[in-house]
Amino acid sequence: MRMNKKASTAPLTAGSTKKLRNDIILISALLLTVLIAALALFLLRVKGDTVTVSVDGKLFGEYSLGDARVVEIQSGDGYNILVIEDGKAYIRQASCPDGICSSHRPIGHGGESIICLPNKVVIEVHTQDQRTPDVIS
Amino acid sequence: MNKQRSISTILLVFILFSYLSLPSCGTKKTKYIAQSLDYFDTATTITGYEKDKAAFDRTSGKILDLLCEYHRLFDIYHRYDGMENLYTVNGLKNGVHRVVKVDSRIIDMLLYAKEMHRVTEGKLNIAMGSVLSIWHDYRTAASEHPSDAKLPPKELLDEAAEHTDIDSLVIDRENSTVWISDPQTTLDVGAVAKGYAVEMVARELEAKGISGYVINVGGNVRTVGVKPDGNGWLVGIENPKLESDEPYVEYLQLAGESVVTSGLYQRYYTVDGKNYHHIIDPQTLLPAEGYLSVSVVCNNSADGDCLSTALFCMSFDQGLALVDSLDGVDALWIMSDGSKRYSSGFEKYTTAP
Repeated sequence: MRMNKKASTAPLTAGSTKKLRNDIILISALLLTVLIAALALFLLRVKGDTVTVSVDGKLFGEYSLGDARVVEIQSGDGYNILVIEDGKAYIRQASCPDGICSSHRPIGHGGESIICLPNKVVIEVHTQDQRTPDVIS
Repeated sequence: MNKQRSISTILLVFILFSYLSLPSCGTKKTKYIAQSLDYFDTATTITGYEKDKAAFDRTSGKILDLLCEYHRLFDIYHRYDGMENLYTVNGLKNGVHRVVKVDSRIIDMLLYAKEMHRVTEGKLNIAMGSVLSIWHDYRTAASEHPSDAKLPPKELLDEAAEHTDIDSLVIDRENSTVWISDPQTTLDVGAVAKGYAVEMVARELEAKGISGYVINVGGNVRTVGVKPDGNGWLVGIENPKLESDEPYVEYLQLAGESVVTSGLYQRYYTVDGKNYHHIIDPQTLLPAEGYLSVSVVCNNSADGDCLSTALFCMSFDQGLALVDSLDGVDALWIMSDGSKRYSSGFEKYTTAP
């Protein structure tokens, strides 16, 4: 501390300039690190459980499984009514003739999907669950 | 001053290290997924680990192209310009089938299916087109008018069953021709085509030294090698009890093997409150009802496809005897009450969820 005081009273010596420069480098580096960390956290933020909807291979929408909602999926001439409630998703009604999608159980586990072939609609659950299977048979 | 400098130095070194550690995230392989709804009337999912998206797109694109070729060759519902396929083999000209010169891949698949007819003692019969098309038509009609859903009359099925002799299928390997001698017999390869196609594509990948992929065509799963970290693939066997909260009845760890599941829950229609699904027993000509699902694990996905269908049409004892008689084949039966039966070697593939 004594040396500090001495340095501050003296005119700008080589030593204090160097120290100031070091401080600036340190502070800038710290700021930069915080910024990059914040950016990384923002980009890699852990998303909650979601369902994605794709129509003919193109992403139609992504919805949180936590928020109850009804989505009308339009696909060319057809439609599927997707319902999300109680952390699960199911098809309430659809224009397809076979009804396979609307008779499918509600899905809420990672990797589960409902597929409507006639309307080319794929509904898929995405979770952070480590035991999500790679593939389902 | 010394103290302050040392703190600064420690901080700077720490910051430097935190930067150095960032790029190490980017060197490992990433998991990619491609999907298609265009083949074998079901969903195809390709999962693969690659260094970048471009490498994955190349390989998955090649896989889908190959599946497309097999799909067209084995398609019994559509014709395609400039090629003979099973639709044209099934077709009639002046009331009889033609002798059709076909791609060698059709010849090989048909010869294979004939062999599986022998192995499964007729439970796998691709000459059952006449019977299966009746069920197909009634199912389609029911999906358009659910309140008018009907079962095919017994006489109609019995009459069609007169024309399901596998020996009517005459294959000339040398000249690469196919001919169905009985004009009323047609082929339906629904229980073998996709498994066979998936197996052929998987072998092509293996021949090129490609690893770290899974091909899944509607539950017909074939793993190609293991994951980059050396672990096998985690496979969930779908719970056939649709009202259950548990999505999977079993988890498997596979490293190059195939698993194929046949289930009641996939394709069915309802008459008077009862579900009639798509797996038709060649003996009764009715939907087989002994199980909710049957899964077969083996190295060859074509075997898995044929056997899962055949086991569905057998009693448990008969099926277990067949599985035990075959090398490297194991099976899981989900009985009508939801209980599980395993062949002796099945549990070496199961893993904790």
